[in-house]
Amino acid sequence: MNARRKNLLTAGAVLVTVIAPLAMLVVQAFADQWHAPAILPQAYGTRGLHAVLDDPNLAAGITNSFFVALAATAVALVLGWPVARLVSATRHRAFGVGLLVIPLLIPQAAIGTGLSTWFLRLHLAGSLTGLTAAHLVQVLPYVTVALLTGFTPQLAQNEEAADSLGATALERFGHVTLPAMVPTAALAAALGFIVSWSQYGTSLVVGSGTPMLPLTMVPYLRHDPQIAAVLTLFFIVPPALAGALALRGTRQADRDVDPEAFRAPSPAGAHRAPNGPGCNPFPPPNQDCHDRTRREAAITP
Amino acid sequence: MVLGGLGAGALAGAISASLEPASPTGAGPFAGWRAVLSDQTFGRAVGFTIAVTVTATAVATVLAVLLAAVLRRRSPSTRSFTAVPVAVPHLVIAALAVAWIGPGGIVERAFGSVPVTLVGDSLGLGIIAVYVVKETPFLALLVLAALGRDTDRLEEAAAAHGAGRMSRLRHVVVPAAAPALAGGAMIVAAFTLGATEVPYVIGPTRPGTIATYALDATRIDGPLATTHQAAALLVVTALAIVLAGVGAALWRVAHRGART
Repeated sequence: MNARRKNLLTAGAVLVTVIAPLAMLVVQAFADQWHAPAILPQAYGTRGLHAVLDDPNLAAGITNSFFVALAATAVALVLGWPVARLVSATRHRAFGVGLLVIPLLIPQAAIGTGLSTWFLRLHLAGSLTGLTAAHLVQVLPYVTVALLTGFTPQLAQNEEAADSLGATALERFGHVTLPAMVPTAALAAALGFIVSWSQYGTSLVVGSGTPMLPLTMVPYLRHDPQIAAVLTLFFIVPPALAGALALRGTRQADRDVDPEAFRAPSPAGAHRAPNGPGCNPFPPPNQDCHDRTRREAAITP
Repeated sequence: MVLGGLGAGALAGAISASLEPASPTGAGPFAGWRAVLSDQTFGRAVGFTIAVTVTATAVATVLAVLLAAVLRRRSPSTRSFTAVPVAVPHLVIAALAVAWIGPGGIVERAFGSVPVTLVGDSLGLGIIAVYVVKETPFLALLVLAALGRDTDRLEEAAAAHGAGRMSRLRHVVVPAAAPALAGGAMIVAAFTLGATEVPYVIGPTRPGTIATYALDATRIDGPLATTHQAAALLVVTALAIVLAGVGAALWRVAHRGART
């Protein structure tokens, strides 16, 4: 297949799978009048946008979802970091990952139903704190497993090198561990945000009527397509931004890799982001680095 | 510890809620379980949920292997593009499906009718389609992550011994990717078993899935609504745990196969 045909195929795939569905959403969001069987709307306007922004319940759903997702992600990063570090250092890494993903087997609604019985007694039912805690059951495993991909043997070697050169624990963390983990942490944060932002069953049961974006969106999908389209656009923007920023961070880190840092670990080279063992830091265009693929793969189903 | 506490707390809470004698009439602690397990609607929901889960997971798994085989030699930008559906919430894909192929959607407006009914169909084809679109790239990325340079070398060696493309896929690529694929498929199946938003948006009203049956139980006018809900959800959890056991066994077999 020649390059021109490949480019055409790629452009066609992008058009069909990304641009056309999104364009349709934008058109529907601003279609004040769109009666069948017309292909295009009869009248454009901002009825849907005003309906969302002027309805305190819908607006609260967006802000509640945003703050709960931010809080759950932040807590998951803080709690998941030491766990990921611990699991990465054990010989039974697969077993550790297996234990971490067990909560993912519990359906969201079951988590919600189970936790509600406790949250009612603790006066957390319906509160944003309760929702954050409930979301953590699913956010924490994803964030921890994503962070785990960053704690590579190469990073451990670099940290040992820093130790042997007299770096304090704080210096080692600030100059070696943190810079190396930034791309992975960014991806883990994006992943955690998306998982929490998308929670439906947990929010429905634990929320006790507290508006959250996925919950407010569902009833409109069959009854008012215009408002549903506006809400879908609000729903899709933060995950898209989070994913794009995380992937950009990953790419940047991969571009910044210094090959010397892999041949002779030293504090000078240790501030570079490490890739996995045996991984070519400068892969040819058609052969990506395994570690980047691993980070990209650590995304929610 | 926090995760274990929340997870175990959620399970303990659900068990407690399913046994709670909510009725003062002396219905007993297992009244909710008896009512749910003897309900024909629940029986249909179990069959429907298992059929949708098995079909969606199997189709997504097969397509993921094929997609990964295509993407292996493609550029990083092509891989990133393929990963787009992974970051999109399930609800958005279901919403797009309704907008495009639902009643009054773009396809119906453009062609006068939709060739296959996917929204609200009793076979759950719409639900399966949404999960396949969403999970195939996720599983493909897991497969790509599992295929390291060792696999490349093995493939080169197999090619040097005269193995064809399909033969290399079957005897080298699939065994190398099988452990990651088994683990990923288990997570996908567990999610599909218990998710509610996609069946609510694009699935049929009857039969529903077990999870939608459970949430609908709260609308039942009766004191046992919560126990019905908790009991039904625990059945899904039990199914997911059985599935995890099967997945773990498959993973062990695949892992042994990959090492030998």
